[in-house]
Amino acid sequence: MTGNAPPPASSSTAAGAGSKPAPATIEAQSVAPPPTVWRQLVSFRGSTSRAVDLYVGIASFAALLALWVAATGYEWVKPQYLASPLGVVVRLYDLFAGVNVDHSFIWDIAISLYRVGVAFALSALLAIPLGILMSSYRIVNGISEPVVDFIRYLPVPALVPLTVIWLGIGETSKIALLWIGTFFQLVLLIADDARRVPREYVEIGMTMGAKPRSVLRHIILPAMLPSMVDNLRITLGWCWTYLIIAEIVASSSGIGYVIMSAKRYVKSDVIYGGVLTIGIIGLVSDQAIRWLHRRWFAYLR
Amino acid sequence: MPGAPPPFIAIERVSKAFQADPRTPPIAVIDDISIAIDKGELVVFLGPSGCGKTTLMRIVGGLETATRGRVLIDGEAVSGPSRQKGMVFQSYSSFPWLNVIDNIRFGLKFRDDIDGAEKERLARHYLDLVGLKGFEGYYVNRISGGMRQRVAIARTLAAGPDVLLMDEPFGALDAQNRDFLQEQLDVIQRSEHKTIIFVTHDVEEAVFLADRIFIFSARPARILEEVRVCDVLPAERTLEHKDSEVFFKLRNRILGITRAQALRTEQIMMGATASS
Repeated sequence: MTGNAPPPASSSTAAGAGSKPAPATIEAQSVAPPPTVWRQLVSFRGSTSRAVDLYVGIASFAALLALWVAATGYEWVKPQYLASPLGVVVRLYDLFAGVNVDHSFIWDIAISLYRVGVAFALSALLAIPLGILMSSYRIVNGISEPVVDFIRYLPVPALVPLTVIWLGIGETSKIALLWIGTFFQLVLLIADDARRVPREYVEIGMTMGAKPRSVLRHIILPAMLPSMVDNLRITLGWCWTYLIIAEIVASSSGIGYVIMSAKRYVKSDVIYGGVLTIGIIGLVSDQAIRWLHRRWFAYLR
Repeated sequence: MPGAPPPFIAIERVSKAFQADPRTPPIAVIDDISIAIDKGELVVFLGPSGCGKTTLMRIVGGLETATRGRVLIDGEAVSGPSRQKGMVFQSYSSFPWLNVIDNIRFGLKFRDDIDGAEKERLARHYLDLVGLKGFEGYYVNRISGGMRQRVAIARTLAAGPDVLLMDEPFGALDAQNRDFLQEQLDVIQRSEHKTIIFVTHDVEEAVFLADRIFIFSARPARILEEVRVCDVLPAERTLEHKDSEVFFKLRNRILGITRAQALRTEQIMMGATASS
């Protein structure tokens, strides 16, 4: 019991009616009401629980969906511009079932996932060692940084004609395009991650007798890993952007192709179905990596 | 000097200048410092922030090179970092991705003079020595700043260095933790017989820990005075010594010197700002 705790209810009644209001007022002033969830949400840099964040996220999605239902239900927007949610769901079902087309939409999703997967894996596999070497050796940085920086600023769509001329319209040219779009961004991000490893960590390693190879493997790599995983997650999102560009320009399969061919017949429900699919894949993969991040790097908290 | 045994660490006429920009003249950081340190001594470099004391310690550690002069350890010139010279930093001193015991094991990882069983024994020994038994599995972000510095000390000792270089290792700790760790370091120093160079700007810490204190001037660093604490205080010290008359007198005398220096540094800084 602390010194300024309120007196027990029995003693305050015993003290008589005259003295009762005074302690009650003091009590009301000394204990601030707990801030409500709403107050926490709107206060500057306030804090809430993860559950509340989730509810807000769901509510935001639900509101968007409600707006969509209303806009199509009351025909604020014509159907050829904005398909109704139900129409999109029905069309998506047809797509997956393979109604009126030669193959199921699953196959298109699979080929898109394959393209993103291969291109991104190749980007990461090359960007991680090169980025780390750029941060470690001036000579590697000196040679690669100007080239990387130059290519990084080239708009990927502008390179589509080149990839087609060099590599044709097969899988290779699409994967190459995605690779160009992500590798040159990723390598600089990784180099920065490695550079941000505190100098102290490296020096501790060197005064423990570690050779540069061991410092890279046992200190720099684990130290930079959390921020590297974050950067991989962000770049994976860009990879999806470039995928649609690659599939729209020259392709006969993939989510982008389905969207593009639907445009020709103004099937806006198919377009929305395709866009929604990409959104959901992006959301799921992003959340999955975040979840892994929290699990792997629990020691940071 | 013929006849006299050579010192364990010999800092011989070391000077250091930095050149941030080729268009500006180099800035002198250390000006012709010579110090001889015997084996098993705890020597404190005391001076105002940014005076170059850390730089001199890093030159001893082989993490930086001297512009002029050289450092000899056990008769050999220092040419780079090695396991012989262990470092304890003020921050980022232990690895967050490893737990307490793995951080200490890291110090043993690159030793080829002992086998695996001996490494494990040593890891436990140093865990005990710094009083972290029971915290083996804790990640360092979950333990206090003082415990983190103890992890760093244990890990550095585990690497088996001859020289321990400590760069304001207790600078970020609260007063209670600092007192406690200072006392612990004194115990460790006597049980492990390491030669320690300890950098600090805290006069009380310097007097409590040091066999000898080298008071550094403002930049460019020179040695203003050498204070032989070991002549007035016993080798074995407890916190009670901080309340003794001898301690007070010594501390106040050194504070007088450092205050005058701090004022001068400020004037130099002001002068630099005014002229730029």
